Amino acid sequence: MTRGLKPPRLSLSPRLLHSLVQRPGPSSAYLDPNMSPDVSTCSTPNDLSPSRRKVLEAALRVDQAGEVAANYIYQGQLAVLRRDPETAALIQDMWAQERKHLAVMNKLQVQHQIRPTALWEVAKVAGFGLGAMTALMGKEAAMACTEAVETAIGEHYDDQLKDLQGSTHPSIVLLRNVIREFRDDELEHLDTAVENNSQRAPAHALLSSVVGIGCNIAIELCKRI
Amino acid sequence: MSIRQHGFTRTTLAHSVLSLPEPHFEPLSDSAVTTLFGEGDTARRTLINAWLDEGIVHIRTAALVSNVKDALLARLEYNVPALDYLTEAFALVASPGLGIPPLDLRPAVQHAASIADEACRVAGDTSIGPSWYTKRATLAAIYTAAELHQLASPQTAPGFLGSLFDSASDMQSVLSEAENSRSMLPRAGQRLPKVLVYFDTILQAGKCNSKRRAMGPVSVRAMNSLSV
Repeated sequence: MTRGLKPPRLSLSPRLLHSLVQRPGPSSAYLDPNMSPDVSTCSTPNDLSPSRRKVLEAALRVDQAGEVAANYIYQGQLAVLRRDPETAALIQDMWAQERKHLAVMNKLQVQHQIRPTALWEVAKVAGFGLGAMTALMGKEAAMACTEAVETAIGEHYDDQLKDLQGSTHPSIVLLRNVIREFRDDELEHLDTAVENNSQRAPAHALLSSVVGIGCNIAIELCKRI
Repeated sequence: MSIRQHGFTRTTLAHSVLSLPEPHFEPLSDSAVTTLFGEGDTARRTLINAWLDEGIVHIRTAALVSNVKDALLARLEYNVPALDYLTEAFALVASPGLGIPPLDLRPAVQHAASIADEACRVAGDTSIGPSWYTKRATLAAIYTAAELHQLASPQTAPGFLGSLFDSASDMQSVLSEAENSRSMLPRAGQRLPKVLVYFDTILQAGKCNSKRRAMGPVSVRAMNSLSV
């Protein structure tokens, strides 16, 4: 009797495996209930010039919107791919990290008294639609969508780190560390997507371009609206 | 002090230098007011906008303000010394200098929105997403109605503001009870028009007597024929 071939195991990058093990990062200042609040988590700088204040507001607004969209992208992907246990487990793990990111972004919005994007509901619907649509094309296409979105977000976080240089207020120092941590998390998701055959997705180059351009348009809109 | 005597006028700006920590020995000349603040009504608009900005600071620094209602009451109290001149001041701000368009409502919307935002900040609001907007829109509408009432009847304005807050919280509790009732609807095999649940909740809440009077004797068949 021939034994059936085992399906290839989905691989987790060593960095994602490492990140899934609980390790305190700068964001634990917002998430760890044992850490007492201090000036870096409870205050916002009052001495920013109007232009620097606008940069801070736009940055946090678009970061929060991006995390909302990322949550719903994974939710959309899971809605379609939930019957594949290994893919579902992988998406669940990445989604869990995005939920943590969104919780921190919500606290940052309140701390720095930022107006959230008026496109909140649009981000939810568009994220879910993108995730579900790419998942319907197959799990490689879902991974390609993840790869494209995480590439755009990783570049965007890098640009923000440059924009937020200069201020020495403890809350901005912590914000820079949190953005750095989240950028690294998103790049881990990108690596995971590549290691799980995102580049075998049908019309990978076209799909990545379309998703990347869409992300950049959404980023510019959410900075302003 | 100068506003109470002279209103939102260039005379007030001219006399403002007499109240500086190192007071000037005489009021500013009209050309000095023009140089510093703009000519004609532009100077008056500058004064009014500065007074409105100071009103935001007043909310932040007023004593015993711990919730949005106290914050809006403090802001209404700030209006009291300048009440006689406020109607003309708002009309001036809503009239663009060039006359086109004839009426500009943006300053009025901005005024109410900034007060609502500051009230939420002072009260420690932690709303995120769409509820951030709905909360501020509600407060802006409440404040606008209360301020208009204050212009006509200053003594009853605090009471009117309180009644608006009571109505808003009543409506919120009715809507949340209706939502809870909807979520408890049986799923399969039992069709109930959604509107029945809303009417039932409103009647049982006993808070919307006006709706009960408006409905009158409505038969069950009439209610069942409605479907939303």
